[in-house]
Amino acid sequence: MASFEFSDEDLKVFFEETEELLQAMEDDLIGLEKGDEVEARLASIFRAAHTIKGSSATVGFTAMATLTHSMENVLDRLRKGQTNVSTAIVNHLFTAMDVLRKLTADAAAGRESNEDTSPVLGLLEMDLEEDASAAPAEATVPPAGAATAVAVTAAPSAEAVVVAATPPWAGLDLDEFEKQALQDGCARGDTLLGVRVEFHPEAAMLSVRSYQVYLHLEEKGRLVATRPTLSEMEQEKSGAVLTAFLFTLEDPKVLAGEIENIGDVRLALVEPVGPDGLFRAESPVLTPSAPAAVSTAGTAVSVGAATPAVVAAPRPTGVPAARSEAPAARSVPPAASAESGASAKAGMRTVRVDVELLDNLMNLVGELVIDRTRLAQSMGLLDKAVDSQDSDVTRELAEATAHVGRITTQLQEEIMRARMLPVETLFKKFPRMVRDLAQKCGKQVELIIEGQDTELDRGVIEEIGDPIMHLLRNSVDHGIEPPVARASAGKPPVGMVRLSASHLENHILITVEDDGKGIDVEGVKSAAVRKGLVASELAARMSTQEALQLIFVSGVSTAEKVSEVSGRGVGMDVVRRNVEKLNASIEMDTTVGVGTRITIKLPLTLAIIRALMVQAGSGTYAIPMASVVETLIVAPEELKTIHGAEVIVNRGQVLPVHRLTRLFADTCGGDPRALVIVSVGGRKSGLLVDKLLGDQEVVVKNLGLFLGSIPGLSGATILGGGEVALIIDVQSLLSPHAAMTAREELIA
Amino acid sequence: MEQAVRAKELQLVVFQLANETYGVDIAKVSEIRELQKITRVPRCPDFIEGIINLRGRVIPVVDLRTRFGLPAGERTANTRIVVVEIGGHTIGVIVDEVLEVLSVAGDAVEPTPPVITGLEADYLLGVAKLDDRLVILLELDRVLSRNEQSALMEGAYANGALDKAV
Repeated sequence: MASFEFSDEDLKVFFEETEELLQAMEDDLIGLEKGDEVEARLASIFRAAHTIKGSSATVGFTAMATLTHSMENVLDRLRKGQTNVSTAIVNHLFTAMDVLRKLTADAAAGRESNEDTSPVLGLLEMDLEEDASAAPAEATVPPAGAATAVAVTAAPSAEAVVVAATPPWAGLDLDEFEKQALQDGCARGDTLLGVRVEFHPEAAMLSVRSYQVYLHLEEKGRLVATRPTLSEMEQEKSGAVLTAFLFTLEDPKVLAGEIENIGDVRLALVEPVGPDGLFRAESPVLTPSAPAAVSTAGTAVSVGAATPAVVAAPRPTGVPAARSEAPAARSVPPAASAESGASAKAGMRTVRVDVELLDNLMNLVGELVIDRTRLAQSMGLLDKAVDSQDSDVTRELAEATAHVGRITTQLQEEIMRARMLPVETLFKKFPRMVRDLAQKCGKQVELIIEGQDTELDRGVIEEIGDPIMHLLRNSVDHGIEPPVARASAGKPPVGMVRLSASHLENHILITVEDDGKGIDVEGVKSAAVRKGLVASELAARMSTQEALQLIFVSGVSTAEKVSEVSGRGVGMDVVRRNVEKLNASIEMDTTVGVGTRITIKLPLTLAIIRALMVQAGSGTYAIPMASVVETLIVAPEELKTIHGAEVIVNRGQVLPVHRLTRLFADTCGGDPRALVIVSVGGRKSGLLVDKLLGDQEVVVKNLGLFLGSIPGLSGATILGGGEVALIIDVQSLLSPHAAMTAREELIA
Repeated sequence: MEQAVRAKELQLVVFQLANETYGVDIAKVSEIRELQKITRVPRCPDFIEGIINLRGRVIPVVDLRTRFGLPAGERTANTRIVVVEIGGHTIGVIVDEVLEVLSVAGDAVEPTPPVITGLEADYLLGVAKLDDRLVILLELDRVLSRNEQSALMEGAYANGALDKAV
């Protein structure tokens, strides 16, 4: 059996499925702790653990199987009400899931895991022992869900034997050896069960699932025959149906319930079979019923329902029905949900695509976009050059050009949409983080998540995770007060942290809001002054918004100090940096004693940005519009110097001025006439350029590994004429000047 | 390496650089382009001439003269960009003129004479004698290797390329 080989595809599905199940378990566990829909969630977690146990055992990851088995034991007691849900148990289960994640990651990477499962196994064992004395007698009672929810009770009575002539395993083509084994067993008076298991037809790993059922049955008694046979399973010839004959003392109802808990099983039919029924099934009179064995699931259900046999279809039994009502059900593969009819179709309409393929498509479309511009330009030239006699040809060409243009635009939009993911993929990891953190800080926090269906570019989602994490951490750690402090402030003891995503025009807003103590703006100011970040006179003149921006300033070792006073600032410079890297902006709103709201405004995609095109010296550059505050035309005499550094007075503020040609050591002099006011980390400075060329959408191209990352540049873009322009990264362009800027402000 | 060179016949793209003739393995060359507009990239090592648009892709272009410390040459109608694929990177290399594609018998290649030592000897595979000409065989992977490139990068910063910028 160890020789059973799994294809890479099977393993991939296994890992993906495990990840999805773990996520679902996590969601349910958090819900469980809150006390909502306890039964449904317990059932769901139990089922997920069971599925992981089964499939990991099947593919040979025994450490995972052992661990999930232990979890299952604990969950089973919870489910039966023999143990109460306590924080300790939930923590242990979380720990177990973390270990499972690591095991999965190691297995997926194909490396031997050095993860030690014994500590967590010990914890789970402890949970079991603690309540073992409470209700030892109940331990042998079959799972409540399976036992109570079965509508029709069937005993191995005479009636059952009679109708057993028609069950779907009738007509099973047994070989002589198997027939002999059946006859012998029946002659001895052993109880024979006929088993018919139907899988969701679109399930990805039918052979693995069949094998799982096989292993399960084999454990329960003497397995006489299965179709597909073991060797067929090994050759991946399994279909959506598995039939088997088993001599066992197990209760058919219990067995059906257990099988039905195996992943992708949509129907398990277990029925006692008498020797008569068995062999009559093979008689020609009854062959008309044979097609039922290969018919669709729908038919099989009705057969089962009409038969006084034990039917454990997902819907009718208590456990799975409750599960499918739990919100977490959606994160389980659609194939496993109860409404298989609808979801099966939905499942077939989606295709898993490699991310790299999408990126390549996006690149190709980017090129098309450039060519579209070129084509339009050439068309314009041609129109002028060709005289009117040839107008038919030019018109034809003009139409084609316009059409290609439209198609390209559409294609670009579609591909961009294909790259979008709901932020849910990101948000779902936060409830656990917030829970753990709140527990550690001794606070009560409720995390409300809204707008998780909002879609964002995959690239943005990857980058925005860290900033959101920092913000949430700040809210819980520094924003929300301890319960006692909240009570004395007249607030409910449970603090609220709201994480939401929403769409606003061409942007996505991500908001982190808390009802904590807010930020003491004066405290921030005085800390910044003390650290020499700003002059005290300047601080006094600062507006609240400006002062709040100080939180984001990473003053070498000062950030920590600022945070001590303000209760904020941990990682805030990181937040700002990441957010600006995305060409996004960040806003903050706070009221002392009431709470803080931070909003990140993100672009929809990173692949195409809006940029201000400028000419400086010998080059054309693109400055992302997100960094641009305003543009001015300046006369040379407007530029002043302070201690040799150029500055300009703009709206009453003294701003440092940098010549782009000088920053880029461009010897080609140029004639700087235009000033682009940019904002980095809330500080404004002027970039002196020769000419403003207007703003346009540019397709961002990577500079490539060979050039690596060059401070001041974030990439390049190809202009309509085919030439390459550099995209400026304002933040890294000006960052060496941060210290200087601070000094300049001090002087000011 | 040298043995491999001697063992079989080599197909070389032969080009002129200053007054010397060089050859590179044709398998590394993906195309030869006429000089096109090169966008200068600031804050880069000197020998990186800039970036160009290669059918929608942005690729770096290296001036081999600068890389070898030769005096800057004039760009003429014969100047070419040899596009090579090296270690997963597509890189353009500026040469004075592409002369021909040559087949050279392995035994016509001699090891690099000991007059050339150090770093430079590393990227010279040998010298092919052809009638009265000497073709210097270049190992472009090493000429343009990442390590060397980043070392040069650091050098550039250490030498104050950034300070200059400020």
